[in-house]
Amino acid sequence: MSYLAVENALKRFGPNFTALDGVSISVERGEFFTLLGPSGCGKTTLLRAIAGFNDLTSGSIRLDGADLRAIAPHKRDIGMVFQDYAVFPHLSVFDNVAFGLKARKVSKDEIRTRVMEALAAVRLDKMAERLPAAMSGGQQQRIGLARAMVINPRLLLMDEPLSNLDAKLRIELREEIRDIQKQVGIATIYVTHDQEEALAISDRICVMSAGKIEQIGTPPEIYGDPQTRFVAGFVGTLNTLSPGPETDHLVAALGHTPSPDTTWVVRPENLDLASGGIAGEQLRGTVKKFTYLGREAHLQVATPVGDLVAQISNPSRAIVLETGSEATVVVPRDSLMAFGADGRRITGR
Amino acid sequence: MFARPNFWTLVAIFTWALLILLLFLPVGAVLMSSLYDNGQFSLANYAKFFSETRFYTAFLNTLIVGFGGLVGALVLGSIMGFCISRFEIAGSRFVSLLAILALVSPPFIGAYSWIVLFGAGGVVRNFFRDLGITIPPIYGLSGILIVFSLKFYPYVYLLVSGALSNVNRSLEEAAEGLGLTPLQRTMQISFPLILPALSAGGLLALIHAIADFGTPRLLGRGFSTLATEAYAAYSAEVGSNMAMGTTISVILICVSMIFVLLQRYMSRRNVYHGNLIHKPIKIKLRGWKNVLAHFAVYFIGLCGALPVIISVIFSFRRTSGPVFKDGFALQSYERIIFGLGDVVRNSLTFSTASVLLIIVIGTLIGCLVARRTTISTSLLDGAFMIPYVMPGIVIGIAYIAAFNTGMVVLTGTAAIIVLSIFIRRLPYMVRTTSSALRQISPSMEEAAVSLGYSPLQAFLKVTVPLIVPGIIAGGMLSFVTAINELSSTLVLYVGSTMTMPVRIYLLILDGDFGVAAALATILLAISGLAVYIAFRFLGRNEQALL
Repeated sequence: MSYLAVENALKRFGPNFTALDGVSISVERGEFFTLLGPSGCGKTTLLRAIAGFNDLTSGSIRLDGADLRAIAPHKRDIGMVFQDYAVFPHLSVFDNVAFGLKARKVSKDEIRTRVMEALAAVRLDKMAERLPAAMSGGQQQRIGLARAMVINPRLLLMDEPLSNLDAKLRIELREEIRDIQKQVGIATIYVTHDQEEALAISDRICVMSAGKIEQIGTPPEIYGDPQTRFVAGFVGTLNTLSPGPETDHLVAALGHTPSPDTTWVVRPENLDLASGGIAGEQLRGTVKKFTYLGREAHLQVATPVGDLVAQISNPSRAIVLETGSEATVVVPRDSLMAFGADGRRITGR
Repeated sequence: MFARPNFWTLVAIFTWALLILLLFLPVGAVLMSSLYDNGQFSLANYAKFFSETRFYTAFLNTLIVGFGGLVGALVLGSIMGFCISRFEIAGSRFVSLLAILALVSPPFIGAYSWIVLFGAGGVVRNFFRDLGITIPPIYGLSGILIVFSLKFYPYVYLLVSGALSNVNRSLEEAAEGLGLTPLQRTMQISFPLILPALSAGGLLALIHAIADFGTPRLLGRGFSTLATEAYAAYSAEVGSNMAMGTTISVILICVSMIFVLLQRYMSRRNVYHGNLIHKPIKIKLRGWKNVLAHFAVYFIGLCGALPVIISVIFSFRRTSGPVFKDGFALQSYERIIFGLGDVVRNSLTFSTASVLLIIVIGTLIGCLVARRTTISTSLLDGAFMIPYVMPGIVIGIAYIAAFNTGMVVLTGTAAIIVLSIFIRRLPYMVRTTSSALRQISPSMEEAAVSLGYSPLQAFLKVTVPLIVPGIIAGGMLSFVTAINELSSTLVLYVGSTMTMPVRIYLLILDGDFGVAAALATILLAISGLAVYIAFRFLGRNEQALL
């Protein structure tokens, strides 16, 4: 049996709103597990149910074989890191981190050693005596992380811990979180709506939508082999081919069977220009927009199957295309993905 | 999130019981009394109110002093607010202190000081008469308006200077870039941004002016307002007319309710959340403009604080009975120590008792309102509006109407004074606590729970330390209003429960200015100490005084 097992979790708020609709997940020891989805998909509700802040309407949560729902939140021994840091403003950095150890009646000397170790791990040992109020968001979240880790919890929960930080700091801190988690080897559940963050940090990702699980898998599985149209669209970007004879023709030419209920999509980075020399079906069209981004360029082309965006990596300086000029887009053989009317995946690439 | 949810249900029940007993019952008694004539239900009292010129005049006068006070406070307050926040004024912290002095001193002390200076035998007036210049005495409407303007301008000043220093400089620079002249910039950019502050401050002045009893009573000399008429109807030696007193009270409640609702509506739109990347800079004026700005600011500040200064000076003057002599002495204080110690003691005990009640019960109710959102608590929030619209004189009359006979007889006790102060100031503490609690993110307590503290421990270890400074500061500011309360106590006191404001008021009526000044000085010293303690806990936050 897995370390943490949530089975058939159901959570209703009021009579009409179902936040969690029969969700089951399992997390292994030492695993970094991410709940990914748009706001309102139920990911935070699930996290808070595991922490004990909102109990489930029905379902079971077991940690290491024990029924968590029967244990009061403060006795669960689960560390939590919050979106708004929740650092205690009236306590020094040291006292913030020592807060949980004091509840556990740890001796003074041991508190000092463990707190300083934890602060060193998040590189805040020089600021131990300062008050957190004047510190930056990144530093406050490091306090939050050290505070949750120092009690050696059985499980670490993180609720969008980086979403209030600026882009550069977000990347820096997520690497740190990942490193510390690996070192300590603690099972972690991480909630985010940022797909790139989820891909970068996780062992496994659970994509959620409207209270249900869309797909659970490793980052390459989620990105490269999405099982639903929602996952494909939420993790990465998509071009949807507009239905019609031109699309049927293209699909058939690439060796698939066209069908009226099927939606065909292709990721921009899988398309290329004819000059790239990749094999596949060629579509002629006119350039509607060209965006040069340095290490890549986005090219929007009006083709017979609709507007397609092609992402060209390492564009040469000569590539600059004027709006209205001719361009030929190549759709490689195994780049198409098909989804049925219910949003489920039909064929592989 | 709390350990024993039943506890909060009990608090809710207790709160409702408290409100029914101390608020709905008295207000209901006032309404009933006004609707009955000789035991019959009738609207005769109201018909009488609107047909007799005397009451009709009082009604009009109330509106006149209300709007007069509003205009005066707006003019003085916005001049001062503009100068302080936009120009470099030497000693601007001192000027702010003068405004605070004006704010915490009770208005009737202001009235008295102006009588000392400009009354029939006023010091300044005599001085000018010796020079051959006759100034009309300050009594009547003009005097009341001068006192109200100088007493209530700090409301406008504090709100406007707050709003002005929050206007992002880039906004005015942007307007400048679009080619607006300085005057156009002021009228089209700055003015709309501070308009909510202006209207909120002005309405605060208006509400207080309408409710004030001491000033028109002392300065009016025949100029009556609803507050003085209500008191007169209640206290007339011959033929005390309770029904008329309560009728006037109901009308007074309605008038102030309209303006309080207006004020709340205005202050709800009070905040423009601009970014403050570019704080406004203060301009250093030169030449005559600089002199003018300094003169305006110091003139308003000193005139507003004049009552305090006069009280302090006159308290040390040598007296012979009620008459002032040349030179200084401590006679007035000696007379307080030997004759009026119990009055000082009464004031201190009553205020302390009400503030302790306010702190304990107000904090509990504040937690209830902030943390348990149910229909009951939303209704509670609304019910706590009522004490805001109750002028002191009305609360006094209501308490007499409710607690003179029947199940609970409280008239003549200290308890009735303590409770009347308690119920009027309770909403402020509830608001202070609940807004402080709402500013604390719930995740703060959740973090403590996840670290192994029970919900109750988390509340005590994390939330309580965070709201205690605000509670102490709020308690201190409540203490200031409690100890300065005149109008409700005037209706409710008996010989043994006399307080300092009542004694000062009676001394002024008797013409015993020396002792009145000394008592007023003691009162001001106590108030000043309480404000100082509040600022120690809050940081120097003048807006908390509003």
